[in-house]
Amino acid sequence: MIPALLLLLFGAVTAGLSFQIRVGTLRAPGPGFFPFYLGLLLILLAGIHLAQSWRWRSDLPDDSADAAPHGSWQRVLLFLVATVLSTGSLTVVGYPLAAFVLMALLLYVLGVRRWAHVVVIAVCAAGASYALFVRWLQIPLPTGRFGL
Amino acid sequence: MDALGSLQYLATGFGVATTSENLFYCLAGAIVGTLVGVLPGLGPIAGIALLIPATFNLNATSAIIMLAGIYYGAMYGGSTTSILLNVPGETASVMTCIDGYQMAKKGRAGPALAICAIGSFVAGGLAILGLVFLAPPLAEAALAFGPPEFFSLMVFGFVVLSNVTGGSLIKSLMMAVVGLIIGTIGLDPVSGNPRFTFGYVSLLGGIEFVAVAIGLFGIGEVLMNAEQPVEILEQRVLVPRLRDLYPSLRDLKQSVGAILRGTGIGFGVGLVPGPAPVIATYASYMVEKRISDHPETFGHGAIEGVAGPESANNAACQAAFIPLFVLGIPFAPPTAILLGALLIHGVNPGPAMIAEHPQLFWGVVASMYIGNVILLLLNLPFVPLFANILRIPKKVLLPLVMLFCLTGMYSVNNFMLDLWVMLGCGALGYLMRKWAYEGAPLLLALVLGPKLEVAFRQSLMISHGGFGIFVERPVSLVFLVATLGFLLLPLLRYTVRSLGHRAAAV
Repeated sequence: MIPALLLLLFGAVTAGLSFQIRVGTLRAPGPGFFPFYLGLLLILLAGIHLAQSWRWRSDLPDDSADAAPHGSWQRVLLFLVATVLSTGSLTVVGYPLAAFVLMALLLYVLGVRRWAHVVVIAVCAAGASYALFVRWLQIPLPTGRFGL
Repeated sequence: MDALGSLQYLATGFGVATTSENLFYCLAGAIVGTLVGVLPGLGPIAGIALLIPATFNLNATSAIIMLAGIYYGAMYGGSTTSILLNVPGETASVMTCIDGYQMAKKGRAGPALAICAIGSFVAGGLAILGLVFLAPPLAEAALAFGPPEFFSLMVFGFVVLSNVTGGSLIKSLMMAVVGLIIGTIGLDPVSGNPRFTFGYVSLLGGIEFVAVAIGLFGIGEVLMNAEQPVEILEQRVLVPRLRDLYPSLRDLKQSVGAILRGTGIGFGVGLVPGPAPVIATYASYMVEKRISDHPETFGHGAIEGVAGPESANNAACQAAFIPLFVLGIPFAPPTAILLGALLIHGVNPGPAMIAEHPQLFWGVVASMYIGNVILLLLNLPFVPLFANILRIPKKVLLPLVMLFCLTGMYSVNNFMLDLWVMLGCGALGYLMRKWAYEGAPLLLALVLGPKLEVAFRQSLMISHGGFGIFVERPVSLVFLVATLGFLLLPLLRYTVRSLGHRAAAV
């Protein structure tokens, strides 16, 4: 139900925004033409899907429930938050430090609890990727305020 | 172009593919592909997307040689973990688990792995031959296609892909529409007006499809893995020792038919839209079981159950290059990524590509032969080496994959925005897996969206606003009727079933 409602909303927003950038006519389609009708199509499909799941809610097996076994979604959330934090720190602290922070946080989230292990693996991974991407492949990764 | 001409061009292609530079990239693609195939959680799609940045400094031919190598290399690698650990490295190896793992349990892991490599080699070789002889005449026929034909063909592709990916048809269609909408972000390809950029200059070029691909298929998978219980994250894999690698003469005799049938099935399935390798393996397994003299051995280590599907997925994977090269329309996600890579390198695949870039087309085709030989050599003696990578526990592997995704993504455009798009798509990919929505239609639609829009609007311009143009041209009409058939198929099935129920009740 929730995903179909979200898609319905997405279709409505798309159609609304396309309307503002000129839809045009069949003979002279404007830039908003294609996205406008795609938005309407999405609303239609999501509507059919909602109606279907409403009508057959009892006799249709809920395929979203057994698509994936339930695990720890909290860990997934922590994992994402840790990634977002270290990605955000990239332009501030520079690539090598951000890579270290990312590895250390993610290792901790996934249950590596010995500090020595966390530090050694994170230092090795950050160092190796720094050597590979920055030194060898010469990719201009952010250097941050400290110029690393 | 006649058959002899094709062979002459193929010979020049070998000249291109055997330069030391291209040999190196072919080898690199084969190794990375095998790795990607071995590692569960990283499929060929994320693997190719991640390596695109590494090809920026290469010429288009070397780049596509390497990226194509990753795709077919993953088909070889995926069988390794299926047989040794009962863990499919990627989805096209699911059927191999059934009998492959049973063979391994009986101490016959060596012959199972060897027959996979041999089957893949034979199938790959025969399928490339099909590519050599079929692609040029098909391309000549497709030169007559105008915008209406391309539009109808792309619509057909979306609907078939949505129909065969396994999930609900309507959910897949919704994902395709979402992909098309995301594809409209940036400059309007016809009038040049900005759309949905909200004033951000970095959005003018559109949403980076590499970011969406790595997000949906790479990071989404990493997040699914991160969710697993701690015991699984800590698990170290025990790799069995391989005593004897080589199959007996009896094994070979039993497998020959299966390999050839698998090749035929795979090649046929590879030509139509959909996740061809997955469907081909399933079809091949079912056929082998049906025609076997001893079907009771299937599921208990029948070598035909390994040889057939593994040949089928390789043949399907090579055949999938035909629609990409001939029509410029990828029918499956890995070839969609390759299309993106071709566009980045300034090559616009389509009916004229073989004539315009003969070096690239024939060079890549010839490199596939070389790649298959390299993979055969890699996979037989070095299987234990690749399997050892699996000893890294997941709790260390997942952060490493994440670091690699972030760094690789940044190096594509040096845009921070791409990283956020990628992480957003990662979260979306995770939710889509939870809610049983398919990512493939979205990605394909994102890549094809601009082409579809241009074809659609050009058709309307030709016809002065009349939709009749799509049904008046015969080729376009055929595709549209086929599309309608695919859309109505589930409805028909449902009606027949409910009528059956009613009849049973009476």
